[in-house]
Amino acid sequence: MNGDEAAAAGHPASHPSGDLAARQAALVAALVAGGPAPVGFDPAALDAARSALLRKRAGEVARHWPLLAAGLGADWPATFVRWAAGRPTAGSLRDGWDLARELRDRGTLPPLGAEELAVREAVDRYDGHRPPRHRRLPGWGRAGGAVAIQFAGRVRLLTPAPR
Amino acid sequence: MTPPHGVGIGWRTEIAGFVAGLPGLRFVEVVAESVPADGPLPDGLVALRERDVAVVPHGVRLSLGGAEPVEPARVAHLASVARRLDAPLVSEHIAFVRAGGREAGHLLPLPRSRGAVDATCANVARAQAELPVPIALEPIAALFDWPDDELDEAEFLTEILDRTGALLLLDVANVYANARNRGTDPLALLDRLPLDRIAYLHVAGGAEHGGFYHDTHTHPVPSPVLDLLGELCARHRPPALLLERDGHYPPAPELRAELDALAGVSGYPVVT
Repeated sequence: MNGDEAAAAGHPASHPSGDLAARQAALVAALVAGGPAPVGFDPAALDAARSALLRKRAGEVARHWPLLAAGLGADWPATFVRWAAGRPTAGSLRDGWDLARELRDRGTLPPLGAEELAVREAVDRYDGHRPPRHRRLPGWGRAGGAVAIQFAGRVRLLTPAPR
Repeated sequence: MTPPHGVGIGWRTEIAGFVAGLPGLRFVEVVAESVPADGPLPDGLVALRERDVAVVPHGVRLSLGGAEPVEPARVAHLASVARRLDAPLVSEHIAFVRAGGREAGHLLPLPRSRGAVDATCANVARAQAELPVPIALEPIAALFDWPDDELDEAEFLTEILDRTGALLLLDVANVYANARNRGTDPLALLDRLPLDRIAYLHVAGGAEHGGFYHDTHTHPVPSPVLDLLGELCARHRPPALLLERDGHYPPAPELRAELDALAGVSGYPVVT
């Protein structure tokens, strides 16, 4: 498609200066937020890029939530990718946190992940919308039978999750 | 402050001990966003600087190819990391990583249009105005192209380098990956790029997945990439080249063998 054909088709490429921002935003939305594929792109290549982004993200979240990922073992990449598809990242820390809470609510959080989540909940306060913040007062966290307490910034796993 | 020379490696905390034990090492690269702008520097980097090993901050989140102006705080961070490490230069990508308030999570390709060249050059100029050292720009590996490119890849890259005066950070694995996925000839691209503008090279591993070659940095460097490195060095040997590894770190002997292979192909001294 050349510029004139693009213009005739109402393609944003016909407005070279102003529309780069809109086109980049549409592409990112298609790749990470479940947006429609922009016109003219190779769908198979976009799919490959979308999957590659999810795999990369799974690796990054696993670095922030090593016990959660280890607890899921070979199921980690698929579990994360299923959860993350169409959901833009809120950063690796919050992505892992949101996923761990969802698995907890479904009763499928593995013991290692439950302990990691309990410890995080004891140390930080996280409302699910804004970045987690350190608790200034003593706190505790519970997940899947695991209990952790935090006092003056020191955290201890009081009760391990049942195996 | 010595410029990159010879064979280097991407410094990552997971392999800091391995890197510290490389006797002939003259330069490393560090992901700029992983280095704090104040407070203590990672011990491993301090020790390398004391050995006079050059450390090049490599930005990954500036989004120089974004339509929006580059965020001043990100440029300021890169500049302060460059100062703290007494870096000879910094590097970033010809790519965008966010748009419309969303993070893509990785480097995305630009349309090869005049508008994208303008946006990128404007952002590079904004960065250059604040940076204490030169910047080298790296073309990325892309799994897809935009549908309406006005320029071919060599024209696009050369135009950006000419207009900004930036150096080139050429990633041999990216050249290989793009050519393989597009079905084009990587040598034809090498023949049209300004190889004399290369500050250093990247070399990395990748793997085939779902019909595409992915530049993963978590697999061994495949032999076609080493062959392409040889072809490049035969045309114009750059002053330095660097192995990038970002995960699934192999045992030390395998990593040493990869560094030795880079030295062997390029003709630079072995650093292991």
